[in-house]
Amino acid sequence: MKNKLKIERAILNLTQEDLSKKIGVSRQTINSIEKNRYVPSTVLALKLAQIFNKSVNDIFELEEGD
Amino acid sequence: MNAKSISNPGLEKGFLKFQLPHRFKKIGTALLLVSFLAMFLIAFTFNDAIYRGLAKYGMLLGLLIISISKEKIEDERIGALRMQSYSFAFVIGVLYAFAIPLLDFGVDSIFNAGNAEMKGIGDFMILWFLLIVQVFYFEYLKRMCNEK
Repeated sequence: MKNKLKIERAILNLTQEDLSKKIGVSRQTINSIEKNRYVPSTVLALKLAQIFNKSVNDIFELEEGD
Repeated sequence: MNAKSISNPGLEKGFLKFQLPHRFKKIGTALLLVSFLAMFLIAFTFNDAIYRGLAKYGMLLGLLIISISKEKIEDERIGALRMQSYSFAFVIGVLYAFAIPLLDFGVDSIFNAGNAEMKGIGDFMILWFLLIVQVFYFEYLKRMCNEK
């Protein structure tokens, strides 16, 4: 699964640390999601979408084979 | 267990309701080290079975406390890694419980032909192995996940 978390974060000028504090996870978790090493739960994906004021589909995208 | 926790087992924040606060990790480590040293001292001095047993329990309790202590930030990714480490430890633990008696029997058959017998593995060894594998594999997963 691909995601545009890094881009969305840059648009809002947020660091990984800032974003992690906003949604109550560790900075390493944000880093893992950005590098596609960890696929977040629905709850976390919705929280992220809420921060960026977008839908989950705008941030996360299925890849072939998913 | 409510529907919420069933819908996303292991990934909910604080998936283990009986998890201890993060500071218990240090307490568990201290208990493990003290019990480990005590076991050595007992073995090389008065070698009392009761005290040796107590030291063993201390080691297991220390490892259990480390195992169920929360991380500084216990989020869903940590929950997922934790679940992965418990699954890994369970499978490796069962394989260990199968393999060691067979290995023992094999070696015994070679050196004690005809008199070899199948011995079980003690509960302490199984629990110790399970907990050690879980704790170290969890630390390994965390490190691997953070390093990449």
